Amino acid sequence: MNAITIDTRDIVVEEVFPHSPEKIWKTLTSGALIGRWLMAQTGFEPVEGKRFTFQTKAGGAWDGIIHCQVLEVIPNERLVYSWAGGHADNVGYGAPLDTVVTWTLSRTANGGTRLRLVHAGFVVPRNTSALETMGGGWKKVVPALGAIAGEQD
Amino acid sequence: MIATAPIDAVMQALSVPTRRAVFERIVRSGEITVVELTRGSGVTQGAISQHLKSLKQAGLVVERPEGRNAYYRARPEGLEPLADWMGHYGAFWRDRFADLRSLLKEIDP
Repeated sequence: MNAITIDTRDIVVEEVFPHSPEKIWKTLTSGALIGRWLMAQTGFEPVEGKRFTFQTKAGGAWDGIIHCQVLEVIPNERLVYSWAGGHADNVGYGAPLDTVVTWTLSRTANGGTRLRLVHAGFVVPRNTSALETMGGGWKKVVPALGAIAGEQD
Repeated sequence: MIATAPIDAVMQALSVPTRRAVFERIVRSGEITVVELTRGSGVTQGAISQHLKSLKQAGLVVERPEGRNAYYRARPEGLEPLADWMGHYGAFWRDRFADLRSLLKEIDP
């Protein structure tokens, strides 16, 4: 690594899809579809201020619920929600997490979509051990994805 | 001499704000002594020494004795466990992207 940063860190993933922004937007904002590629959710609606939750594995004093609130909705272009969970009593898995997920969709020249995810606000090192474990747990929940990911490289 | 510290040791070493400030100062300084680190830090030299000990154990700094002084410099590669960890979380989202792609193929081939 080149730089040393130990305050907050962002995750950025960006990929181009052949589908239109409208199609991608539907998969990002339809309650039923979200559960098929991200995680099961409760209460999501693409309406600013709307609160919803994701359920993942509980750990320690944390019930495994990720609390989210829709912060910004620009149809077919931008969706932002907060992503918070964990419990102050936890040090490892389930340590407090207060982050923001931003989806940005831009139409490519041939009608596809450049989809960019920014998951911002990880406090390093507070969240490190927690999310390392969480990352492993999530990978177990959705196995056999490596092959699919490899095909796209 | 320097064992690769597991992520917990790195995390614990950097979880104390004063210690993190000490580490950042060492990073910026290139090489620095305990006396110089103590100056203007608002804490005692003994406290600084304790922080240095933790940072050393976590593999984040190395010590170079010279005469009566000891010089400390950062070991940026000591932060690699954190980068690896961020990689894990990045993998979570890349997996989600792969699932999203599969789902799109399914509903809109």
